Amino acid sequence: MQFRLPELGEGVHEGELIKWSVKVGDFVKYDQSLCEIMTDKATVEIPSAFQGKVAELHVQVGKMIHVGELMLSFEGTAASVSHAEKPSLPSNSIPSPESHVTHDSQAQIANRTLAAPSTRRLAREMGVDLLGVKGSGPHGRVMKEDIRKEEIHSAGSAVPVRAGISERVLPGPAGEEKRVPFRGLRKKIAEKMRLSKDRAAHFTYVEEADATALVTLRNQAKDIGAKQGVKITYLPFVMKAMAAALKQFPILNSTLDEERGELVYKYYYNIGLSIQTEDGLMAPVVKDVAHKSVIELARDIQGLVDRARNKRLTLDDLHGSTITLTNAGSIGGLFATPVINYPEVAILGLNKIVRKPVVKVINGREEIVIRDWTYFSLSLDHRVVDGAIGAEYMKLLIQYIENPSLILLDS
Amino acid sequence: MSNSADVVVLGAGPAGYVCAIRLAQLGKKVTVIDQAEVGGVCLNRGCIPSKALIYAGSLFEKVAHSSEIGIEVEGAKVNLPKLMKWKDSVVQKLTGGVASLLKANGCQFIAGSARFVGPKVLEIKTSTNTQQLTFNQIVIATGSRPTLLPGFDIDQKQIFDSTGALSLQKLPQSLLCIGGGYIGLELGMFYAKVGVKVTVVEGGSGLLGGVDPDLSKVVAKKLEKLGVSVHLNSQVKGCRKDSHGKSIEVTWTAGGPEGKPESKSESKKEKKSEFEAVLVTIGRTPNSDQLSLNQAGLKVDSKGFLTVDAQRRTSVSHIYAIGDIAGQPLLAHKGSKEGMVAAEAIAGLKSAYDVVAMPAVIFTDPEIATVGLTEAEAKAQGLEIRIGLFPFAANGRALSVAEPEGFVKMIGDAKTGRLLGVHIVGAEASNLISEATLALEMGAHIEDLALTVHAHPTLPETLMEAAEATLGHAIHIFKPSKRE
Repeated sequence: MQFRLPELGEGVHEGELIKWSVKVGDFVKYDQSLCEIMTDKATVEIPSAFQGKVAELHVQVGKMIHVGELMLSFEGTAASVSHAEKPSLPSNSIPSPESHVTHDSQAQIANRTLAAPSTRRLAREMGVDLLGVKGSGPHGRVMKEDIRKEEIHSAGSAVPVRAGISERVLPGPAGEEKRVPFRGLRKKIAEKMRLSKDRAAHFTYVEEADATALVTLRNQAKDIGAKQGVKITYLPFVMKAMAAALKQFPILNSTLDEERGELVYKYYYNIGLSIQTEDGLMAPVVKDVAHKSVIELARDIQGLVDRARNKRLTLDDLHGSTITLTNAGSIGGLFATPVINYPEVAILGLNKIVRKPVVKVINGREEIVIRDWTYFSLSLDHRVVDGAIGAEYMKLLIQYIENPSLILLDS
Repeated sequence: MSNSADVVVLGAGPAGYVCAIRLAQLGKKVTVIDQAEVGGVCLNRGCIPSKALIYAGSLFEKVAHSSEIGIEVEGAKVNLPKLMKWKDSVVQKLTGGVASLLKANGCQFIAGSARFVGPKVLEIKTSTNTQQLTFNQIVIATGSRPTLLPGFDIDQKQIFDSTGALSLQKLPQSLLCIGGGYIGLELGMFYAKVGVKVTVVEGGSGLLGGVDPDLSKVVAKKLEKLGVSVHLNSQVKGCRKDSHGKSIEVTWTAGGPEGKPESKSESKKEKKSEFEAVLVTIGRTPNSDQLSLNQAGLKVDSKGFLTVDAQRRTSVSHIYAIGDIAGQPLLAHKGSKEGMVAAEAIAGLKSAYDVVAMPAVIFTDPEIATVGLTEAEAKAQGLEIRIGLFPFAANGRALSVAEPEGFVKMIGDAKTGRLLGVHIVGAEASNLISEATLALEMGAHIEDLALTVHAHPTLPETLMEAAEATLGHAIHIFKPSKRE
């Protein structure tokens, strides 16, 4: 019987086979992980929808595979259709290269990957998992050349580069150099950034804002949140302001379908949030911002951040954003010029909030007062959004930031 | 007094000294601590001295029983003190070699007993003082010792453990071996060959537990020929030494010889028998109880072993364990392999214990050597197997050295044709097993062994023929083809 790649989630049609978790001859149970597939969103484990013995693997590690494509043949029984749910567990975590080495060596005599001890050592040194390597030798024996080839192939795999595994320190023309495989999430980020800069006509508009009222409100909310175990940052307020302002400027919440030559306006507000993780930048999505309270949003954000840091984000978490928010100010800097999360058309950068002397007219007199001050940077795809529209959106957004109670008027 | 070291290797047996030398080769400053001599049990009180004695015993037996091939020797006798002296000289050569290797590699050696007083501090008692030693990393390789049997206190005069049995100065008239495992049978056979009346009492239903019964049967036959009386399913209850130190009365309940259970009424009955000496070989206990391991944050399992990962690292990241203390199988070569892995891991290399094939050899007569899955293990794993047997009696070399006993038993995967296990009982089995080990480690198919040319006339031809037999067409045995 045949097992084909099931649906991976909305809008995801293909992925790269990173690793087989089973091999020919293995007995597989329902829901057991068969392989890992890296989509442009995340790495997912594909659970088995059958029970039985693996007869043949049809896809090689490193290959792109489409939904519905034949993955493996098995002898056994397929689960009922309802069983083929969408994969739930993406993970960027990888097993250690030794993980397939059982201590009970007796167990692997019959079913192990054929490889000489010297080949196994090379695989360990290069961080290549033997289980994923297709051997070119007799009876599928993995040869040293196969390991070397695999190393080059897996430049596109989700295996995060971990210190020491396949780094090589080499003498360079002017001193020591280190060569580290460029792959996994890092490579995905590179591709996405390049695509965005190639396609979108970026421009960035920066405006300053008085965040004093926002700071006061957030400080009050912080204590309330703490009682509920929710950490309230500025982000949920900014998201509420974004959503409220987007309702007046829907074009910023659109995407450009270049293939069909259509602009797709979206009347739901799913805000992607850039989060820095150990492995690189990720942008999980806070859903339906317009209909959620600040506390609900804060809780969602907290959950996403935790899952991102623990490498437990689901495909659903990463899917469906309509615009993106990046918190550039948490480290420092005056303001950033963010790169659009293509195919969206806008990304808002929240920069640091500092206390600053500013001139204000109070009772008809100019006075220098201390205010909480910040800059917002808005990068737009000029193909879709003109500067004036962007500036008007920013003006409205800042009105909400400076007078957060106005957000209450939004419905 | 407090000193510091970079890497400490605790124990200088075949695991510890190999680890220390590899560490030194990889540029580490190594301090080796052992309470006794370098070389551990293996070199001093185990593998090496026992093999010297076993060789001598076999030589004596051959010399005394070679009239049928035309060698007539009269008056051959065993001079035990001289034999022991020769054995000691073999041991000294080897331990001296290890000591000088350690020295040449720049390893510091401390003779003393050590225990943890903190995760990175040892207290070492030497013959002259007590000192503390701090270190960055440590490899525990303290090995194991003979398991004690309550009621049979080892005095090494009348009641021996394996250590005492390797240094007797006078042959007893009669010897009771408690335990029919490999140590008991190796030593028991030696003593039987040099003229001692040997009795073996084994609690289990077969000799050499864990070994394929087809193989141990061949050894049982030889035991019978040597006049050794074997009692399976039998237990010793206690003993009483007579006042002259001449004999020991042992109380025991007997099962039948060779596993045949005696009648119920009889088997319940306690017997009393007299022996001049008793050898206790009921197993080995890890040396983990005197190290104050809890001071280092370590816990042993229910049997006293330390649990380790693929790099032989314990639950405490700077502490490694190798050899017997790191668990089964308790084999010197397993410890040496672990020593190399741990040393390389400490030096930052990507080493791992990924051994597929772990050979085991038993120096009974004939020898037994096994590697890989036994028939029973393969069946338990649900594998469909093919078995090939080839007898030594059909091998020219075996016949021409008058060693026709034994056979090679080869286990292959019927579906894939892969080699799963090789089990040899017969002359030089210990030297034959390495080819099979390499084949398994390389992932050879039975065909690979069958298609490889083996020099004639040699014993390894038995492996090639067993492979052919597994495939159904050995040249030197005739198997009538099945007719419908």
